Amino acid sequence: MAENKEISVLSFTKKVLNAFDEVAKRKVFKKGSFLLREGEIERNIYLIEKGAVRVFYLSEFEEIIFRLGYDGSIINSLSSFVSNKPSEFYIQTIRQTKVKIISKETLQHILKESQDSLEQYTEFLEYLLIQQIDREIDLLTASPAKRLERVLKRSPDLFQHVPLKYIASYLRMKPETLSRVRNS
Amino acid sequence: MRIDQDQLIEKLLDLTRQAKDSTNKFKELQPATVSFRPSPNEWSILECLEHLNLYGDYYLPEIETQLLKSEAIEETPYFKSGILGDYFVSAVKADNGKKMKALKYMDPSNLELSITTIDRFLKQLNTLESLLEQSRKVNLSKVKTAVTLSRFIKIRLGDTLRFLVYHNERHIVQAERVLKKISSEQREDNSLLDSSVNHGSRSSVIADGV
Repeated sequence: MAENKEISVLSFTKKVLNAFDEVAKRKVFKKGSFLLREGEIERNIYLIEKGAVRVFYLSEFEEIIFRLGYDGSIINSLSSFVSNKPSEFYIQTIRQTKVKIISKETLQHILKESQDSLEQYTEFLEYLLIQQIDREIDLLTASPAKRLERVLKRSPDLFQHVPLKYIASYLRMKPETLSRVRNS
Repeated sequence: MRIDQDQLIEKLLDLTRQAKDSTNKFKELQPATVSFRPSPNEWSILECLEHLNLYGDYYLPEIETQLLKSEAIEETPYFKSGILGDYFVSAVKADNGKKMKALKYMDPSNLELSITTIDRFLKQLNTLESLLEQSRKVNLSKVKTAVTLSRFIKIRLGDTLRFLVYHNERHIVQAERVLKKISSEQREDNSLLDSSVNHGSRSSVIADGV
């Protein structure tokens, strides 16, 4: 089941990629740039070609990372994208990042083209839903070691792409705790 | 200092609203402008605000904790400053003209800052506003909070709130001074950062040549 989902996501991504080549919207962002800020409305989906980004919520005391993306990830502020309401989240590059951007309009255009794309898009959204539920279980998992284990199972190469301090925030633990559980 | 408690809170709320207005103006500026240091040992606008955030990080939860532990009052009492509290407040007031050196752990100058510093400060100001509202219902002279220097030193909640609000004002005035300096240098040299155009956020796209 999970494997099937992966394949659908791939074929949808492929389609999106082809669309990208047609509309040719590519950008390189410097380290620390914001793809989106809190309060802005998300009008795009981003495919990360090379680099890394973090999606975070800002409280009055800290930045709380709830998604990380790197080479091959598709990312945006989904709730804002769907609802056209101001985003509650920021998307910021962790280092220089090359992205392909597809706008909502272009996406809708692709979806109108064929029943196939629509089905693939639905499966893509279902896949995102599964990711979201996985993430929820992460956060309900009390043991820091188990939390790390779950995430590494999903994204084995996370540490090659994202600095430790961001992974620690994503896992809701102190950087010291993360290095302790990693080394035991 | 002796003042009707409600009057004090009204005054502090008013100053906090002014702080929000100024901060919203900083939010419209270019990233390069808000991180510009007039000289190597002067803070940028972002550093001024982050310094305030660091104080908020300590005091806002401390005030909330003490409010939760306090009993509600029936009628509005007068607030009377404590000696130590009043000393702290007069030390940070913007108009006292004295320069101070920030405590090491409140020094923002080695931190990596971005525009989220401004948004975070706005959120802290909102929290401060709601704490001020809630403070109406307790005795500002009897409830006490610990200070950053030591948790064994306590000052009156009324003084803590005054300290926070006037400390905010002090560094917002400082940040406004920095902005003035930048704009006057700009007039002399047009190639310097322009703060008025393109106040979106995409200025850092390399492909666009910025």
